[in-house]
Amino acid sequence: MTIADTHTPEIVYSDTAQRRTAWWLVAPALGLMVLILMVPVVIAGILSFTDYSLGNDSFNWVGTKNYDRLFSRSTYEKMFIATFTYVVTVVPLSVGLGLGAALLINSMGRIGDIYKTIYFLPVMATLLAMAIAWEFMLHPSIGMINRTLEMSCGTVLEIIPFLENGCAERFPLWLGDRDYAIRVICFIGVWQGFGFNMVLYLAGLTGVHRELYHAAEMDGAKSVWERFRLVTWPALGPTTVFVVTISCIRAFQVFDTIEAFWPQGGGPNKSTYVMMFAIFEKGLQQNLIGIGSAITVLFLVFVMFLTLIQRWLVERKVHY
Amino acid sequence: MTRDLWKHLILILGALIVIAPFYMMVSYSFKSPGEIDRGEGGFFGRQEMMVDERCVKLRDPDRDDVAVAALRFPNQTDSEIRDALVAEAVADCQMRPIVFNYTKAFTEAPLLRYLLNGVIVTASIFLIQIMVALPAAYALAKLKFWGREAVFSLVLFCLLIPVHAIALPLYIMLAKVGLTNTYAALVVPWTISVFGIFLMRQFFMTVPDDLIDAARMDGMGELAIVWRVMLPTAIPALLAFAIFSIVAHWNDYFWPRIVVTGNRDLFTPPLGLREFKGDGDGSFFGPMMATATVIVTPLIVAFLVAQRRFIEGITLSGMK
Repeated sequence: MTIADTHTPEIVYSDTAQRRTAWWLVAPALGLMVLILMVPVVIAGILSFTDYSLGNDSFNWVGTKNYDRLFSRSTYEKMFIATFTYVVTVVPLSVGLGLGAALLINSMGRIGDIYKTIYFLPVMATLLAMAIAWEFMLHPSIGMINRTLEMSCGTVLEIIPFLENGCAERFPLWLGDRDYAIRVICFIGVWQGFGFNMVLYLAGLTGVHRELYHAAEMDGAKSVWERFRLVTWPALGPTTVFVVTISCIRAFQVFDTIEAFWPQGGGPNKSTYVMMFAIFEKGLQQNLIGIGSAITVLFLVFVMFLTLIQRWLVERKVHY
Repeated sequence: MTRDLWKHLILILGALIVIAPFYMMVSYSFKSPGEIDRGEGGFFGRQEMMVDERCVKLRDPDRDDVAVAALRFPNQTDSEIRDALVAEAVADCQMRPIVFNYTKAFTEAPLLRYLLNGVIVTASIFLIQIMVALPAAYALAKLKFWGREAVFSLVLFCLLIPVHAIALPLYIMLAKVGLTNTYAALVVPWTISVFGIFLMRQFFMTVPDDLIDAARMDGMGELAIVWRVMLPTAIPALLAFAIFSIVAHWNDYFWPRIVVTGNRDLFTPPLGLREFKGDGDGSFFGPMMATATVIVTPLIVAFLVAQRRFIEGITLSGMK
């Protein structure tokens, strides 16, 4: 392990020697960073202007045709709609529920830990396995959800229009229904992710000083809501910025549930055809590398844009 | 007190929804197909003896079996012997549903192999990540060299790139060098963890320089310092990073799905479960849920045992 030349103690560890060792230490990481992270980005960028496919030796430059296609074909319109519907639904809900759970748990002492543990379970569990469990729960005839809903038939609960319709005709097919499919996917996304946000918020809440609440109370902030608005929420600012960004990035990458439920095609009427699934289907299954690369590039642009906004917000807070 | 009561009510409702799929997964893994179909049997099912139809079919006696058995059943007609043999087979193929489900989980597909693959892949990823990231983090934190700022900005830039997003170009690169369907394909893209470098660098910054100078006086080389001085001080951060990395890669489905096609010997647990689902006819819900339970359990148990560490590890990314 020991580097040979340092055995001679009279040699003062010189700057040049240190520089050389430093580069040796950094080299593997640097090399892998370039090879595994930077080169693929460049490759995706280049291939998105070609009609390359694996197995062909040559390719043609097609200009922006792949991108034009992304913005003109209805399949890709559905892709953008599905992706953004998912992100726009899951991010606020999982952040909101995470914050809500954190506030409730934080206000109740040690006993709240048990809820913390439970809410964190989905974060640890293999999403694919849980997706399959959800699929059974959502099974139209033998699934737990429709069975539970059926139990409400014939009771006072039937005044709820949703249940009334369900009892009169039938309860939703959930995964087979184009209106419900994306909502179910969003629900599972929230189910899986909000515990993660809750834990981050709980960590953030430990940083809010008690005195601030007292001070706010002195200033006339009597209600719980006022104290939240004046003290807690601003103090959680940095946490919120981080939580929202990481939720967005994760939401953009949704794939497991969709591939598990609809291995071919992205749901009824392509209503859950999200970007990761499109990259998988076009680029890998259909070997349309050009179009897959174009989606990859757009994906990277979205994600980088989000992260840069986050960094900008954080930096502004720091210099504040 | 009443205020705490509604808090508990809300949190319990949430907990029920969070736990529902886990409950169902474990419960189905105990039940017989009939109980699953009819939705009976509570959580454990009734555990009545059930007959494994496939096992009976496999032992369906042919002419030779009947001839051999004629010695055991003297003075009986062939059809009587046949019936007796079938009855024997049925008796031998009886088992409790829980035993049936879990034995099927391990015998229908090489689940042990999948689990072993999961361990191999997850462990190799983590070890290589550490071997690459620690020296780089040390150099970036403690050594002065020309280009340090540039390398660090590169690290910050690479933090923007989610590896899943560049799956397509990575796949093309691996296919070009003929590495798809190998362990290497499962491991290589994750060998560089920019996040790990960033995290360990932040941690190393807090290690006093005196410690390093003393080690140099003792004649230690820089690489020896990394492993024998820095590594022991970094154990808490390293443990957190280990949990972060292991959870992510044990549960990962997208990347293995892309680079492993068909070769069952390389399947990781989620891929194995996915294949099980693809093969399954309706009656195999029980064994499939048993498989899912087996895959999910290790991390959940580890989490319940060392909650604090896990939550730290998973939310590590929030401590920037």
